[in-house]
Amino acid sequence: MKPLASRRWLVYLAAAGPGLIAAAAGNDAGGIVTYSSAGAQFVYRTLFLMVLIAIAYVIVQEMVARLSVHTGKGLAALIREEFDLRLTAFAIIAFAIANVGLMVTEFGGIATSFELFHVSRYISVPIAAVAIWSLVLFGSYRYAERVFLLMTVVFIAYPIAAVLSHPDWKAVAANTVWPHFVASRSFLLLSVALIGTTITPYIQLYEAGAVVDKGVKPSEYHFQRVDAIVGAVLAIFVAMAIIVATGATIGGTGPLTSATTAAKGLEPVAGAAASTLFGVGLLGASALAAAVVPLSTSYAVAEALGVERSVSSSFRQAPVFLGIFTFQILVGAAVVLVPGNLITLILNTQVLEGVITPVTLILILVLANRRSLLGSAANGRLSRTLGGVCIVAVAAVAAVYVLLTVFGWFGLS
Amino acid sequence: MTTPTPADAPNRPRLLPGRNRNPDRLPHQRRRRTRRILAQEGVFDAIVSLAGLLGRPVRNQRGQEIGRLEDVVARWADGQVYPPVSGLVIRVGRRVAFVPASAIDRVGHAEVSLRSSRLDLRDVERRTGEVLLARDVLDHQLVDVEGVQVIRAADLYLAEVLGRIRLVGADVSSATLLRRLGPRRWRPRPTPDRVIDWAAIQPFNEPVDPENPAAGVRLNTTNEGLHRLRPGELADLLEDLRRDERRELLAALSPDEAADALEEMQPEDLEQLLRESDPVEAARLLAAMEPDEAVDALRDLPLAVRAEVLRHIPPRTALGLRELLGYDEDEAGGIMTTALVTAKSGEKVKKVTDRLSDASGHDVDLDAVAVVDATGCLVGDVTVLDILLALRADSDTRMSALLGEEDVVTVSPHASANEVAARLIETRRHSMVVVGEDGRPLGRILADDVLDALVPTKGRFHFPRLLS
Repeated sequence: MKPLASRRWLVYLAAAGPGLIAAAAGNDAGGIVTYSSAGAQFVYRTLFLMVLIAIAYVIVQEMVARLSVHTGKGLAALIREEFDLRLTAFAIIAFAIANVGLMVTEFGGIATSFELFHVSRYISVPIAAVAIWSLVLFGSYRYAERVFLLMTVVFIAYPIAAVLSHPDWKAVAANTVWPHFVASRSFLLLSVALIGTTITPYIQLYEAGAVVDKGVKPSEYHFQRVDAIVGAVLAIFVAMAIIVATGATIGGTGPLTSATTAAKGLEPVAGAAASTLFGVGLLGASALAAAVVPLSTSYAVAEALGVERSVSSSFRQAPVFLGIFTFQILVGAAVVLVPGNLITLILNTQVLEGVITPVTLILILVLANRRSLLGSAANGRLSRTLGGVCIVAVAAVAAVYVLLTVFGWFGLS
Repeated sequence: MTTPTPADAPNRPRLLPGRNRNPDRLPHQRRRRTRRILAQEGVFDAIVSLAGLLGRPVRNQRGQEIGRLEDVVARWADGQVYPPVSGLVIRVGRRVAFVPASAIDRVGHAEVSLRSSRLDLRDVERRTGEVLLARDVLDHQLVDVEGVQVIRAADLYLAEVLGRIRLVGADVSSATLLRRLGPRRWRPRPTPDRVIDWAAIQPFNEPVDPENPAAGVRLNTTNEGLHRLRPGELADLLEDLRRDERRELLAALSPDEAADALEEMQPEDLEQLLRESDPVEAARLLAAMEPDEAVDALRDLPLAVRAEVLRHIPPRTALGLRELLGYDEDEAGGIMTTALVTAKSGEKVKKVTDRLSDASGHDVDLDAVAVVDATGCLVGDVTVLDILLALRADSDTRMSALLGEEDVVTVSPHASANEVAARLIETRRHSMVVVGEDGRPLGRILADDVLDALVPTKGRFHFPRLLS
């Protein structure tokens, strides 16, 4: 019999995964571009906001893990069972729109990374769309996924770059512990994008689905919680490193407009190879998410409609499932092919995510509060209040942005 | 709960073979069912949509509105095919109250009228065997036993049958979902184009107490049709259900039925099922499975979970499983089953057939009997047909007399699946014995095991599971 400590470690490893992977997948093309843009435009001023986002992110991820471990159900199924059908339809449609936005982001990331290697997007995007579609449908995706994940390891270079770029640590610390917000429209826009790219609705559904898929029991919940929290903290750590690294190298140059500029954030560590390194990482992160995001939409729709059987891999058996899957890839690729600045396009889709995120968050909070659903595992007074405050804050930022935009249409702001 | 006797097992009324997921069969079966429910005279006019009725006024005898319908309570227990409604939950102002079924006069499409003008409102209390239809059944998972599919009820239909208001059917059509999304006045209109008769449905006893989830794991009513399903069909159902429902369905099956169904499940789904079950329960299921299938399942489990489960399996079975786990997944030792019937060469045929009948639980793995000499080394492999013919001729024939001229076909436990397939093809046999270096038989490989090992299976999409 092995000593208890080491056996516990093994059990933890068995439960590990969903949270970490969700975190890795969270730092996708949208994340990297948005964090880089934050550093470029406002240097370290967004760091305090990132701390707030981190708190909200950890709280939400923990609630999602708790919900799925204790009920054994995915988020979409829970929403269908616990809420009115109209609310379910609204949530699923919002989720689907957010995911189509994400697909635009991912194909934007693929196009951007190939442009760093001087390949036109009119060549790279159609090929990538066909490749991802067939990789997933013809079953060899599992191997490809490992390659993509390996490519994203590149982003571990960011924390190193953050140190090597010799940032003004005093300023970094001051901006992290005390807000240095800028009262401007562009700061608000970027804040919504930062929220949207970090607390993406898809990450929550992914986390829930993956926890259920792993068959984690309530008795193993504490391991799952560690996984969810460690994953979330790690994701934010990398995000803040990106902001510091880009802030120190290209800070103050205004909004990010090209990938070549963004890649400068890696120069302290990679020198002339920064652009290559950035391209490889961006490609891996985008391709990884580009396959998982459309699957998660199809999964959620199937779960909400109650046609789980349709999550199979033959088109004849699952026309709706694969139809949704194909549609998202098509739309994502098509939007990216419209001429325009890719970086701006990616930033704008993150804003869309930020506006939709509160819908999912509110539903998660209500579900996690329900004693009839979770019994003693339901939110206590503290997590209820803390979760409520965080989600209201996130929703408020999104609402202010939407209101300002709508006023803008009528020339009021 | 009844288990099917072997006698009635073969005549299952299935139109098409088990694992066929051809969607064409479902509309066809649904049409048949619709005709059946509509054939009952007057039922069509009388069926009331639960989704349409919720939130509608509840009136007293004089037509005054006393509250709004919040939920309908039905009794699951008692073994009745169509569960009777035992009461209504109505919202009166800010209070929620219970009205017993005896006080209901008429359940219309858009309102409920009560029998008396006076009404004593009792507090809602859910007794065992009762479910809240809107909260616990509508929009939740159900099993359609006839159509062999897991559904989510888009609507439930009530009708007066045999003097009581009962739950008569569930609706799964997307048109019904649209009706519920649409304006309020569409909602009471029943759209019974894809109604499944409640007789064909296995509901779940959903109110699992969140404080004590293990307490709710029992089905109050078990649809007899469940026991007529093939293992492959049960496997499909288990794959589509979520944890609690899956646990209930497993509890309704006999251990052998459950084990047979598990053997047919997709590896990823089986892994999920075993990981989310209690180790004791997982061990019970694995011990009832054929050893080769159990080993495949154990192989997919993370080491820590595997060790935990093995500790709860009876020592003798666990020993055999551990031995099989020592082989690689794609070599003969990993494919073979250890459910092997052996006989001494001097034994009489009659005695061997007795042993075969004892081992008949492993029927799918029985194809031939391995014959060993006094030292336990393999000397021959006699098919069950040869034994049967010999028994008919003379029950005192000894096994040695049945051994053929040619060498016995064997394979080493470390041979690859391709080598095994090649050997089977060249010898035209259905199975062969796996023999260790010392010449003793270790197990048997059947042709279908080789097929499983060689044909790549393409399952359903799962969220990627790296690091696991």
